Formats: sequence, C-alpha cells, structure tokens
Amino acid sequence: MAKKKSCNRKSKSHSHKKISHLHKIYKTKRKTKDHDQIHVDLKIKNAYELLNQSVDNDVPGAAQNYCVHCARYFVDEKALKEHFRTKLHKRRMKALETEPYTQEEAKRAAGMGSYVAPKKFEIKTQPDRQTLTSIYQETTDKDNMII
Amino acid sequence: MRLEPCYFCSSKVYPGHGITFVRNDCKVFKFCRSKCHRAFKKKRNPRKCRWTKAYRKAAGKELAVDKVFEFEKRRDEPVKYSRELWQNTVRAIERIQEIKERRQRQFIMNRLQVGSNNRTEDDLKEITQFMHLIKAPHAVNPELDEVHELAKQRLEELKANKEKLVSTNKSKKTNKKREKVEVIMEETSEQNAAELEEN
Repeated sequence: MAKKKSCNRKSKSHSHKKISHLHKIYKTKRKTKDHDQIHVDLKIKNAYELLNQSVDNDVPGAAQNYCVHCARYFVDEKALKEHFRTKLHKRRMKALETEPYTQEEAKRAAGMGSYVAPKKFEIKTQPDRQTLTSIYQETTDKDNMII
Repeated sequence: MRLEPCYFCSSKVYPGHGITFVRNDCKVFKFCRSKCHRAFKKKRNPRKCRWTKAYRKAAGKELAVDKVFEFEKRRDEPVKYSRELWQNTVRAIERIQEIKERRQRQFIMNRLQVGSNNRTEDDLKEITQFMHLIKAPHAVNPELDEVHELAKQRLEELKANKEKLVSTNKSKKTNKKREKVEVIMEETSEQNAAELEEN
C-alpha cells in the first residue's frame, strides 16, 4: 500500500513537467531584466534615453514604444497604452516600490550584519515622451531622480 | 575556501553545491540549490517567500538587529599567525555563539509570549463580560461569584504586567549600554574570530 501511495505523490508533483512554454521563458537565453536593473533604468537620465531610442528594426515597433517598468517593447502607441492598464504592468509597479534585493541583504539575513529595512519609492506609470523631455530639461539631479 | 550565503535563502553554499550565476553586467549571484535558482529566475522576492531567512528577519520572526551580528564579517585583510591570537579567537567564537543563541531564543520566547498573553486575556474577558449567560444577576451562587472575582483579579494583574513590560522596554536603553561594554571587552579577539572562521 505504502508503495502505491508514494507512486501517486510522485506523479502529482511531476504533473506539470510538460508545460514547455514556461521552461523556455526561464532559460538564461531569454533572460529579461531583473528588478534591480530596472531600478537603474528608472533614473531619469536612463529613462530619457530608453524612451528616445533611435529606430531599430530588430525589435517590435522599431524601439519607439518602450515600457521602462516592464522592460518591454510594443508595436505601437495604442498597444503601449493598453499595456499600462494590464495587471502585469500594475504588479510590476508594485514590486518596484521597495528597494531591490541584493546579495548584501542575503548576507545580512544570514547573520553577517544587522537587518536594514528596505527603502520605499513612489512609482508611477511613465509619462509620455513630451512631458518626460520637459521634466528631463527641468531637473538638475538627473542621476538620482526616479520617474 | 569561503562559504558564501545563498542569494535567495541565505543558507551556506558549500563547495561543490549549487550554481553561481554571473549576469552580463558582472554581478554575481550564488544559489544553494535549484529551488533557489528557479525562484530567482521567476523574479520572486526573497523578502516575501516565507521559507527564506530574509522573510523571517523582515517580518520580525527572528532576532534581526543586534550587536552579535557585527562580529562575523568578510574582512579581506591577511593576518599573521600568532598562537595567542588563535587561541583567543577560538574561545571568542564559542562565547559569541553562546550569546547569540541565547539572545535568539529569548527573542522568540518573547514574541510567542505576547500571543499566549492575549489568548488568556481574551478568555478572562469572556468570563468577566458574559457571566450573565450562565447566572442570573440576582441569583445566589457563591461558587460562580468566586470564579467571577478571580477572573477579574487575574485580568487586572495581566494588564498591570503588560504595562510593566512596556515600561521595561523603554528602560532597556540603560541595560543595553551595559551589554555593550561586555561585548567590547571581547572585541579585540573577536574581530579576528570571524576572519579565521572564514579562512
């Protein structure tokens, strides 16, 4: 009886092995940007550059419609605007609100150093290109301000 | 050989185990097992996964801020061998470990104590407030009256104790100073303790 039970459990835990499209997503080959990299992108200087990219025909929409928070290119402006209303985008914005996790924090959690609470940021959906340019020209602290 | 902590769960990664991932911007991530590596690939937040050390510290489940965590460190300075230093260090390691464990245990006990106090308080409140459900207000029943009185007394005691705890927490600052002195006395040897531990 016991043998049969363990058999059942095994088949259960391995029942999702055939979902190949998920395997593909997590391959290093298709790696997307991590949250700490996106936090760097959110700095107004980098965001300005990302939203004003030169025409590149290898990426969707010739790199003209980019979402900084999700690190994704869209075909046209309509698709980008639609994307801002999706759960995917909102979830990503929520995740970016706290300071990204680092190997240093893992060290602290392991007992090398005391716990330091992560910083909080206020994250909004990116403005359109025109408003961003005006903000970019107004701000003096371009390396540190977050859009 | 250094035992680096896992990026995700903060456990030690022993030689021959786990995966080191180097991102294309040269940042290094160490993982103790495929579970942690997979969670990283899914962009999970270690602060929100309940089984990681980062969660337990961020959520206040374990002792997170204390002087005992300052000794073990990665110090990239070579030390010349001296027998005396070595002996002191080994002794210090044991002593720090002892102190650390005691404090961690005490922290968890204090945390659990709050819950059990709340539970008894709720029970006592139920007795004091809903006595009329089992006894009419003017009925004569000395046994129940005694229980009622006792419950009232214990409730007051509990509340007084709670206030005491709050006041002691405030006055802990003075206690802390004394602790610091104790620790500093050992520090000279302990500084090297961590170094040698890692070497």
